[in-house]
Amino acid sequence: MTAQIQQNGLAIKRISASPDPAPGIRRSPEFSKLVDISRCIGCKGCEVACKEWNELGVEPTENFGSMQSHRDLTPDTWLLMRFNEIEKEGDLEWLIKKDACLHCEEPGCLYACPAPGAIIQYENGIVDFNQDNCIGCQYCVSGCPFDIPRFNPETRKVYKCNMCVDRVEAGLEPACVKTCPTNAIAWGTKDDMQTLAAKKVEGLKGRGYENATLYDPPGVGGTHMMYVVPHGDQLEEYDLPSDPTASPGALAALVGLKRLGAGAFGLGLLATALHYLGFGPQEPAAEDEDAGA
Amino acid sequence: MSGRGEIQRFTYAERVVHWVAGLSFVFLLLTGLAFSHPRLYWITVLVGGGGTARVLHPWIGLLFFASVVVVTLIWAGDMRIGDRDRAWLKAIRHYAVHDKKNVPPAGKYNAGQKLFFWSMGALGVLYLATGVPLWLPGGVGGLGPFYGAAVNTMRVVHYGATVAGGLLLIVHVYLGTVAYPGTLGSMLHGSVTRAWAKMHHPLWQREQSGS
Repeated sequence: MTAQIQQNGLAIKRISASPDPAPGIRRSPEFSKLVDISRCIGCKGCEVACKEWNELGVEPTENFGSMQSHRDLTPDTWLLMRFNEIEKEGDLEWLIKKDACLHCEEPGCLYACPAPGAIIQYENGIVDFNQDNCIGCQYCVSGCPFDIPRFNPETRKVYKCNMCVDRVEAGLEPACVKTCPTNAIAWGTKDDMQTLAAKKVEGLKGRGYENATLYDPPGVGGTHMMYVVPHGDQLEEYDLPSDPTASPGALAALVGLKRLGAGAFGLGLLATALHYLGFGPQEPAAEDEDAGA
Repeated sequence: MSGRGEIQRFTYAERVVHWVAGLSFVFLLLTGLAFSHPRLYWITVLVGGGGTARVLHPWIGLLFFASVVVVTLIWAGDMRIGDRDRAWLKAIRHYAVHDKKNVPPAGKYNAGQKLFFWSMGALGVLYLATGVPLWLPGGVGGLGPFYGAAVNTMRVVHYGATVAGGLLLIVHVYLGTVAYPGTLGSMLHGSVTRAWAKMHHPLWQREQSGS
């Protein structure tokens, strides 16, 4: 499994359900997308580019009273521009959010996954699903603090944005970045993107967006798709959780419980063996049998 | 079925349903452990791979639960816990070291067997209640979806119940096979020797002789 993953030439940081450390010895800079929401014109070119590059099936759009193309992400729709409409002081505001995998540094999906090699995190920050190894349990869906992975009941596998890992491996930017006509999506090393974000946030503040902020939540160790958010005080209205975490309490408890469980089974078997050696089998007495017969 | 000098202990129906429960539980334990511990994931190969194990585990789980229901209907009467059982439990440390003289005589089932029976029944309910949300996290009927914290909590409870059930199984199999020769036969061909009955279940043996 490990060998198979290594063949694609990317250095690996983490592999799901693998007790051994990741085998990668090469290092790669971390990359990140930076989505400047203030520059998005809502053209949805990125949605189309995503479908094209990843050869994802077309799904009918639906008019439900919004500029949004589809209601939700699906196994075939890995990127959806959400048009959150907010009324503020009598004005309509569009709080557009590029809804796709954020590629967390601490990936809740990967931690929740029980199938070895079904989720891989590369040194460059991309969190990738390897459907060959997916068993369709959907624990990743519950482990994700951003509600991104989508289950396909027909293939019994889970799908999400892979940050165009094949393009990135070849030194290209993801398809959504390439196509964006307003440069609302920038691409580069995480350090460069943080520097760029700081400038953008300053710029927005200068234009009167005093709550402008960078969304790079520390609860998941930061993300590899960051947002410049004009209204940083309205994160929830953008559909961005204000404090996402990779290991919700229950999942963290499970890790400890499994250690206890493994120990308990081991001790249980050992105790039985020692009991047998100490006390042996209890055969019914032979004379009893005679008497009874 | 009973040979010369043997006493019938379990009917054909009891033996069948016991083994449905037992074998399905072993299947569930093994595949469940495979999902829980990466180093045990190889177990999934025995049943056709991880995806197959994920598909089969819930269905076998339903089979296990059905057998638990049937077993409860058949045995609940025999498994009522009374004063005699409380006395037996007080003497359990003598039982554990085969010091039979200090253990009150048991009827058809001793208090340990009764507790095992009721514990597995309760665990069966717990496995079902926590297992269904894990099986169908997208929801079932009008219930759900269970994604998110609900599933993570169910995983903790389901796993904790597995540890309890697994430990009970170890003790059950140990006592039913190598520790007490003659016991396994009662679940295979249905009968035990009088000597076995007198040693392990004297009150029941007396009843059987009387009838």
